Amino acid sequence: MTSAQPSAMNATGNAAYDAMAEQARALRESRDRPTRPLIRFDLTTSSVAAGADALLVDLRAALAGSSVEADLITVGALGFSFAQPTVEVHMPGKQPVVYGPVLPGQGADFVATLIEGGEPNGFDPIDAALGVRPAGSTLNAAVATQDGIPPLHEHPYWGPQVRRVMEWMGVIDPDDLDEAISVGRYAALTKALTMEPMEICELVEAAGLGGRGGAGFPAGVKWKFLLGAPGPLKYLILNADEGDPGAFVNRVLMESDPHLVLEGLAIAGRATGATHGFIYVRDEYPLAAVRMQRAIEQATARGLLGPNLLGSETSLTLELVRGAGSYVCGDELGLIASLEGLRGMPKIKPPFPAERGAFGLPSNVNNTETYANAPLAVRHGAEWYREQGTESDPGSKMFSISGTLARSGIVELPFGYPMDALLLEIGGGVPEGRMPKGIQPGGPLGGMLHADDLRLPLERPPFAERGVLLGSGGLILFDERTCPVDLAYYFITFCEDESCGRCTTCHGGSQRITEILDRIMQGGGKESDLELLGVLDRTLQNSNCFHAQLTPFAIRGLTRFFSDELREHIVEKRCRAHVCSGLIQYRLTDPQHADLELAAELEPSGTLVRDGADGWKLSGRGAEQFGLLPEVAPDAVAVEDRFIALLDEQQPDHALAELPVSAG
Amino acid sequence: MRMPETVDRAHLTALLADLPAEQGQLLSALHRVQHELGWLPREAMSIVAKQLKISEAQVYGPASYYAEFRLDPPPERLVTWCSGPSCRILGGDKVRRILESELGCRLGGKSDDASLGLWLGQCNGTCERAPQIWVDGRVVGPLSLAETVRLARRLKAGEDVAPAPDGAVQIESTAMQVGAYPDNEHGS
Repeated sequence: MTSAQPSAMNATGNAAYDAMAEQARALRESRDRPTRPLIRFDLTTSSVAAGADALLVDLRAALAGSSVEADLITVGALGFSFAQPTVEVHMPGKQPVVYGPVLPGQGADFVATLIEGGEPNGFDPIDAALGVRPAGSTLNAAVATQDGIPPLHEHPYWGPQVRRVMEWMGVIDPDDLDEAISVGRYAALTKALTMEPMEICELVEAAGLGGRGGAGFPAGVKWKFLLGAPGPLKYLILNADEGDPGAFVNRVLMESDPHLVLEGLAIAGRATGATHGFIYVRDEYPLAAVRMQRAIEQATARGLLGPNLLGSETSLTLELVRGAGSYVCGDELGLIASLEGLRGMPKIKPPFPAERGAFGLPSNVNNTETYANAPLAVRHGAEWYREQGTESDPGSKMFSISGTLARSGIVELPFGYPMDALLLEIGGGVPEGRMPKGIQPGGPLGGMLHADDLRLPLERPPFAERGVLLGSGGLILFDERTCPVDLAYYFITFCEDESCGRCTTCHGGSQRITEILDRIMQGGGKESDLELLGVLDRTLQNSNCFHAQLTPFAIRGLTRFFSDELREHIVEKRCRAHVCSGLIQYRLTDPQHADLELAAELEPSGTLVRDGADGWKLSGRGAEQFGLLPEVAPDAVAVEDRFIALLDEQQPDHALAELPVSAG
Repeated sequence: MRMPETVDRAHLTALLADLPAEQGQLLSALHRVQHELGWLPREAMSIVAKQLKISEAQVYGPASYYAEFRLDPPPERLVTWCSGPSCRILGGDKVRRILESELGCRLGGKSDDASLGLWLGQCNGTCERAPQIWVDGRVVGPLSLAETVRLARRLKAGEDVAPAPDGAVQIESTAMQVGAYPDNEHGS
């Protein structure tokens, strides 16, 4: 699958498209083999969070004042979120080099050193380099070390990746349709337009393309349902409501290569006979919405969307709809209710969307990444598609990794790739020599896994066997500082907040679970609580939608994989991670310590007070809620188990004193 | 400090004039109004109802359902606390307690003079900067607890702790803005 020449250079036989591709050829040439310095600037939500907007203003000013003529384009994300802002420099006759982080304020030094060839001053290029990237497609062959900078393929974050959907992400300008066409976007559409709709559905089914939202339902089968539904008007719906906190695959995809997503929708239009589509983007993704809207307008202006795609009898108009903050709108039937201008309460099924979907008409809902995979399957064929991945989950998957990781970000790997290799090698594992404690996959409904299961292959079946979801690609690693009871409480409060309110089993049941967990975390846990949690789990199953039915997954993860820690909370009133503020207490071990001066100044509780001329004391509880004392004055404060300390005081010979006091 | 609760009816009617009169346009209509006014006053909702030819109840129901639609005027300076899981496991809940205590308002509320507000934010996927908050939409993080206290006190004192760079175009949403998004010279 290594190819030096993008196949867009080859004529597709569609005159309208071939003319556009021919026109874009010179642009590709100038981007792959620039004749003057070319800077690719990652401008995405993640880089802006790191100050890329200030850096860009800075860089542009430095370039304007430079004696060297250079070009700067803004691009999407290569995926190095941990090294943002990242900037790539492509000098004539050389391979491009990725740098990061390049800090706001370093713009002038960056230009002086890398573009003008001056001596390193405020910017050390060797230090800041992530690696040398082969020019053109990121699938291109590895390159050699260049000017002392090793190739990106040797970087642990980059080397193992299989970038299919992400092939051009971070390389092309997402706002430039010509550049999208120059790398072959919409070429698969020309092929699809020569195929019969059923033929496309069969191909997508043969490729084994499964829904990337987590369910993995075969997209080809879903498309056949819609193809068989009566017309004339049928709808396509793109679910970009990526509501799972910690999952940001769809955001990066839409911000970096929107035309790949639109091409997938156009192909689905041809395959299903749908002539209108809705792109439902969550409101928390404004930049993705702006770029998708711009891409729709550009593609429509060129006849790649709209009536009679590229001169064919197939038509597809697209409309972008912004969500307004409701997690259950990620459920396809919640999303449809939201599109209709109603509260986002998941409708009762059947009827399924292919029968009666948006506005009562046959509809097909797929995840953003699912649509983005369709052009790959159509263009390269089912056999090629299945070269990666597993029997249950063919192809590759984008993953967003975060938590207590050295390297957070977005990667693309074949399904079945070992999770430990992803989190510990690509992600660099837990910093500062701490031990991983567990993994949270698949969002708030995905459950939790113990670190003993780190070796699971990243495909659906082994996750399902353990009662957790692989989900839409978000994986969060946590270490010994995390309390699994607190984490489960967090997820259940999220589910409670986001319950649409239709089913009493859901909104009442999740409320009861949070109350019980809260009591356990305050030291009021009872052995009978475990049974009660089981009853609530069974009750929640009698609800309409997956939101309620999966809400107890967090509790199941807690009781299955972290039962020791849960029992410690209930029986011993102890939180070994020292997270649950009701179960810990602070004690000053060195009341004269100099750090306490600063701690007292910052402490929000006001409980750290003067004790005599040169000492401090804690007047009552309160500081434990804010956690500031151990951070600011670690050598003056001990964190103790509150109830064990109480017992020590009252019954010096109690049995619990034998237990290790702290593992954290 | 409260914004006037009377709205320019003619202006809002013109703002919504091109929308087809159907329930399916409700989210678009509410986004437009909130973008214009910063929130959804009762009177504006009645104009939306009239424009879309639906009942006021059909407007109020969804308007009150979705987290990003606001039925109160926004604060002058908005602090959004990221509620995401990466933030949580890196001390985010303590960040929230510090903000509530130092800013003097609960999550979802405003300070007495409405100069500061503290809202809950849903994860935007910049988890490499956890734990984080957004000040008027700009991400600030990762934050230590001591930094959170200092930041909260500067906010309380009215300082602009995360100013947007000059020369950049703002991309706004009801939820947050992607800071200042420099316009792309190569786009169309």
